[in-house]
Amino acid sequence: MNVEQTTLPRKYHDAVLHWQRHHFPDYDLLPQYWEKYFPNEPDFCLCAKMELKMTDTIEVGDRKGERRMTEPSEMGEDAAGHLLAIIRAQASTEFGSIQQHEATLARAQEDEDRFWVLRVMAEELRHGYQMFHLLVSRDWSSVSSQKAEEMIEEILSMETGSHVLDAFNLDYDSFVDNVVFAAVIDRVGKYQLSMQRVCSYKPFAQSMPPMLREEAFHLAAGVIPLRRWAQRAGQGNELVTMAAIQKSFRKWMPRGLEMFGHEKGGDSNVRFGFKNMKNAEAQSLYYDECRKMIADLNQRYVRARLPKLSPEEAETLAARLLADGGRTEGISRQDLLELPDRRFFRRKGESAWTMIGIRGESFSTVDSYLEHLKDNLPEPYLASRDMSRYVETLRQVAAGTVTPEQASKKMPSLKRVGGVCPCSKSVRWIVEEPERPPAERGSAGAASRS
Amino acid sequence: MNIATGQLRIRPLTELDISRVVAIDERLTGIYRPEVWERRVGYYIRRDADACPVAEVDGKLVGFMFSDVRGGEFGLEETSGWIERFGVDPDYQGRSIGRRLFEAVVRHMKERDATVLRTIVDQKDEDLGAFLRAVGFRSSPLTALEMPMDGAATPAERS
Repeated sequence: MNVEQTTLPRKYHDAVLHWQRHHFPDYDLLPQYWEKYFPNEPDFCLCAKMELKMTDTIEVGDRKGERRMTEPSEMGEDAAGHLLAIIRAQASTEFGSIQQHEATLARAQEDEDRFWVLRVMAEELRHGYQMFHLLVSRDWSSVSSQKAEEMIEEILSMETGSHVLDAFNLDYDSFVDNVVFAAVIDRVGKYQLSMQRVCSYKPFAQSMPPMLREEAFHLAAGVIPLRRWAQRAGQGNELVTMAAIQKSFRKWMPRGLEMFGHEKGGDSNVRFGFKNMKNAEAQSLYYDECRKMIADLNQRYVRARLPKLSPEEAETLAARLLADGGRTEGISRQDLLELPDRRFFRRKGESAWTMIGIRGESFSTVDSYLEHLKDNLPEPYLASRDMSRYVETLRQVAAGTVTPEQASKKMPSLKRVGGVCPCSKSVRWIVEEPERPPAERGSAGAASRS
Repeated sequence: MNIATGQLRIRPLTELDISRVVAIDERLTGIYRPEVWERRVGYYIRRDADACPVAEVDGKLVGFMFSDVRGGEFGLEETSGWIERFGVDPDYQGRSIGRRLFEAVVRHMKERDATVLRTIVDQKDEDLGAFLRAVGFRSSPLTALEMPMDGAATPAERS
């Protein structure tokens, strides 16, 4: 593989490990059980990976055809500032998802599912590490008054509730969320990484292929357990019901759609050559892919209920039941998974605060919409801080005391910023150590090829 | 490439291909075994999805070829590409889809610095053997041996 592996300078590497000890204690289980769950596969490496065989020519945007840039100062202030925001947001998502997964990881029914998610978390840690490499290996001072060290401190100090994107500020209610999150939210990650492969800033583009290879497994770690749950549900021995999966989908899908940004936006990303699609186009492809995922899960369920059906017959039956709401051989629409309307439960974008139901129906009052949400979202989630804030804001929008735009800006609310390291009274994750002789430095800062 | 009635696209395996892989396998073998393919697809995606091309015609998955890069097994120290699973929907056979999948595997194996491609074929599967010879495989001095642990006959002996 034409990949260069690099470790961060020691103080940053140690800061990531320090963060891991507090937020991701199960990380240490992974090497112990690696050979059992991932036999003969290369060991996990906490390092930055840069793809070496990348074209030097910019593929899209205003500078298409020119040479890819390798320093922030070459991009111009606007573009560099824009990319810096993307890198910081990306880093926030990587660390944020680990915090979310960790809370319910131990509740997995099957050890294999648990270790698959554990590997996903470790790879997310590596992806965050990758973003740190981009922040500390170059000089961003032309577009940021923050030093690299301060940017990293800020990201490591974020907790569920204070991350950049809403999807990373929701607590998981059960292990169903671990799996649905991997299938739904990591799928957005796949789209973002795929679009960013063309990036006009070469170090960022070089970071994408290794991350994408790992992200492919993250999606499998969501979809494959979902398929098994759907089968068990179809066989009548479910503990994870189709209804529980459905409600989790409705919790995460709106946040996934919003991760693409406003449907009318994305011009700057294309113009600067950072991505090859605008927001609406990428979001539509994503939505269609989710439709396919749900059709596959329904087919798995129907074939478990009616083994005599062919794959095509099972898929057709599921599609018909969803469309006409009928009942055939004991299966009805309520037994199947249904993709929520893309305007459902939205807080950002064109449909923000519009009170649209799961099948596209409109609600005229907040109370009737809340009844609909109560029927269709996971019960533990209804009791969450996020829902409480959402309802409060929705009432303000409906009363006209805030505009939808103002309301969108209030989400997420940065309530839990603090970042006090629990093992000391310090608020610092990065600890400066006295310079040691080179012989003691180990592999920090070293590069190797695999 | 236009293939008789539709547009052929070769791309890497994804987790959303499982249903179609299961369906093709079911048509080829008469056995519905989703659990097997869920496990195998999970494995191949972790290993290297680019080594596992699938063929789509007009957006429908009609063929797959799963391979893997290894080194050091069986005393074979050189980096080897192993073709392990292969299937084309019977409705789409005879349209060079297998060859296109094979070419994608070869391209990827060259990028991964594999020096040789290997596979194991059931001697009774003459069609598959003929296909592999047609794309360039030759007999190997290696021989596959097996010994049932319970002393019973091997599948080959039973048939």
